[in-house]
Amino acid sequence: MTAYILRRILYLVPTFFGATFLAFLIIQLAPGDYLTQLELDPKVTPETIARLRSQFGLDRPVHEQYLLWMHNLLHLNLGYSFAYQAPVLDIVLPRVVNSMVIVVPSTLFLFLVAIPVGIYGALRQYSLGDRVISFLAYIGLAIPNFFLALIFMYLILQVYFRTGVMVFPVSGMTSSGFEQFDPWKKILDIAWHAVIPIIVVTTSDIAGFSRVMRGQMLEVLSQDYIRTARAKGLAERVVVYKHALRNAVIPFVANIGGILPGLISGAGLVEVVMAWPGITPLLLDSLQQQDLYMVAGFLTIGLILLMVGNLLSDLLLTWVDPRIRYE
Amino acid sequence: MRKIVAVLVSVAALVGMASAQTFVWPQKWTVAKPTEVKWGGTIREAVISDYRTFNPFITAEAGNVPSLLAGPIGLVRRDPTTGDWIPYMAESWTISPNKLEITFKIRRGMKWSDGKPITADDWIMTWRIHTDKAVGSNSYDSFFLDGKPITLRKIDDYTIRFIYPKTDAEAFSVASFTPWPAHIFGPVYQKEGAEGIKKMWTLNEKPENIVSGGPWLIESYRPGERLVLKRNPAFGEWNKDEAGNPLPYLDRREIRIVKDTNAQLAEFLAGNIDVMAPSTVDHISQIRQAIQQGRLDATIKVNASPVASSQFMVFNWNKASDPFKQSLFRSDKFRRAMSHIVNRQAVIDIVYGGLGTPMYSSVYPVLTQWVNPKVPKYEYNLQEAAKLLAELGFTRKDREGFLVDARGRRLEFNLSTNAGNAQREQIAKLIVDEAKKVGVKVNFTAIDFNTLVGQLLSSGPDRPFDAIIIGLTGGGLDWPFGSNVVPCKGNLHMWNKSGQCLDPRETQLDALYSRGRSELDFKKRVEIGYRMQEIEAQLLPVIYIAGPNYHPAWNNRLGGEHPDAIISSIWGQRQLELTFIKK
Repeated sequence: MTAYILRRILYLVPTFFGATFLAFLIIQLAPGDYLTQLELDPKVTPETIARLRSQFGLDRPVHEQYLLWMHNLLHLNLGYSFAYQAPVLDIVLPRVVNSMVIVVPSTLFLFLVAIPVGIYGALRQYSLGDRVISFLAYIGLAIPNFFLALIFMYLILQVYFRTGVMVFPVSGMTSSGFEQFDPWKKILDIAWHAVIPIIVVTTSDIAGFSRVMRGQMLEVLSQDYIRTARAKGLAERVVVYKHALRNAVIPFVANIGGILPGLISGAGLVEVVMAWPGITPLLLDSLQQQDLYMVAGFLTIGLILLMVGNLLSDLLLTWVDPRIRYE
Repeated sequence: MRKIVAVLVSVAALVGMASAQTFVWPQKWTVAKPTEVKWGGTIREAVISDYRTFNPFITAEAGNVPSLLAGPIGLVRRDPTTGDWIPYMAESWTISPNKLEITFKIRRGMKWSDGKPITADDWIMTWRIHTDKAVGSNSYDSFFLDGKPITLRKIDDYTIRFIYPKTDAEAFSVASFTPWPAHIFGPVYQKEGAEGIKKMWTLNEKPENIVSGGPWLIESYRPGERLVLKRNPAFGEWNKDEAGNPLPYLDRREIRIVKDTNAQLAEFLAGNIDVMAPSTVDHISQIRQAIQQGRLDATIKVNASPVASSQFMVFNWNKASDPFKQSLFRSDKFRRAMSHIVNRQAVIDIVYGGLGTPMYSSVYPVLTQWVNPKVPKYEYNLQEAAKLLAELGFTRKDREGFLVDARGRRLEFNLSTNAGNAQREQIAKLIVDEAKKVGVKVNFTAIDFNTLVGQLLSSGPDRPFDAIIIGLTGGGLDWPFGSNVVPCKGNLHMWNKSGQCLDPRETQLDALYSRGRSELDFKKRVEIGYRMQEIEAQLLPVIYIAGPNYHPAWNNRLGGEHPDAIISSIWGQRQLELTFIKK
């Protein structure tokens, strides 16, 4: 086991260099650079732009830029953002924390709701309940998150126009005057603002997740060993939760590696639409402006987390899946 | 007795020193009278993009934090009612007989928010840092005229001289730059140079360490979410309304970062933000509806003015690899025909929902003083276009209905704009349709912005595009022609980047540009501008299309907006310093 883990960690090294170089290359392949926008400013001379380009090191060949960046990275420096003129980590970290306020609860809800719903759908296949859940799930899958967020905003406004009560805030993460609140009120205020984004993110995820869970469960339930277990007279509860469920969740355990980077990668366009100061709006801006080290730095954090996550899920698999042994 | 007089005199002198020389904000800049104003309260605003730094020397984006803190401060400023330069942090100025030197007397008694006096040193240090190449300041280029530096000299603590390498219409604009505290930046600059300056005042800096000379100080900042500014009491010591009250009236400004305009609209409709400038017809009508149905107590001024930007189509004159197209694009008859196929009214109706302004010259329509009303406009007229193309030899049509010349060459070109800009893409499609009607084949593609800019700014005898739709902003009230655009060697001389003037009229424009830029008499300068627009109309180097309008809206809890005559995309809806909360 220890040898396996060591070997896995050793494999990570070339993967890391390969992946970061690819990411770096792809960012560089995009036409133009951070200063292209500036070139259309009638007040800025081409000499100034050329000077800034050499200051930022953008006039050097790609491999040189990569090596310099890697050198910094090995000294635990993710690089400087052009736009902010500050270390990438300083800018990214508070945003990641903000995103987690949505992503962590919604991931928890996802598992708490989607797994039981999927099991229910499999056990009572084609019952009224299953059909209703399926119907809702399809709607949830069909509506994009950003649009669902807009619908919620519309509804909140309509309620406000009719009753004068703001049930939930239209957008944002804190109320005005937040700085003066006492700690408890601060937490409540953020929670109040987070309700709608969490609902929006969770609903669409539940829809997809519960469908897969249902399908997995159905497949396992039709296996011979389940029939055998039932024929042996095991209680239905034991059959379902001890034998069937354990096998049905294997694909999810294999995917746990994706959750870790998912935690920091933000809640997607919901953050943009609802003015949540998370990671997505920041990253979109950086991509648009070709803020090279910002994007590369963030990708690197995600990459490391993905590698660690995959390692973890492999280890978990040995625990869940009796067929896998690392000897 | 003598002693008493001496004491009295020195007391008087001391009093004179202690009480600041005030700048009185004219009543005519606002609709509110000093008797109806109220103190305190918070104005709530929203912006699209996040703030990147508090550092005034490396900030690059529009509406950045340093410019919010500084507000209008500078030696001179413009009077929105006339557009004239008036003394502001300077109490007066004198211009040398050769017009190359302006000496400003600085107002006494002005203070930074940390209590230190504002003196000539602050301007000198600010200028030094802006013009240090290693700092990379966005203002760098504004301190140079044709590559020669504009220099500042301290005469005494309250006198400063600007020395220009040549006479310049934008001399006062240069002098209006914002000073920053020398006692904060100077020591760091002396010790660590540009690198030290770049590390200062990042977003992580504690708000209480940020010193301002303007109306506002930072109270708090939450990244990506909200910037809260509070009143700077030191500003009110020398900025008063006509009744002698210190400005600004407001206690706070809360600026939320809301990236999505739909969310901004929702917040405005809910009464959570106070000011907005909706840009789409849908948003305008939603605001109007909310007002009419009594759900929102607000004001909206639809079509207050055009915005200060341009949208145009430019043809490439440098196509050595395709002599047929090159001679076509260099023909002013061809370009005039293309102007005739641009249906500007349709662009306004379809792209801007009826709320736009047609454009025929490089001067933005909002700069009314500068627009030459007599300049010929080659308006939408397909017959005229067909006639001009026939004169160029395109009389027959091929089987597909497109014009060909005697040698059978089809009248066809490629048109591109930046993908993702829905308005420009719509304009391009309208042009494709109208061109087809007269038998011109236009192949439209939307391409990545940076690729487009790369093509547009490429130089030499053979450049990789036919025609591009793009826009520019910038260009001011002093001299609305672009220093990079008009001169033949200019980086944004987009139609011809061969590095030299190809058409005698380009040479004329180039010369007139330099003459106008160095003409100090406003009237004479406007005359030169008029003449330039006439030549531009004949040459038609780019074909101007149309631009959107400015539609400011505000919640009626705000008072102190501009009189209607001043509200425009240039002056905005209000002076924040004169804004107050009614209820």
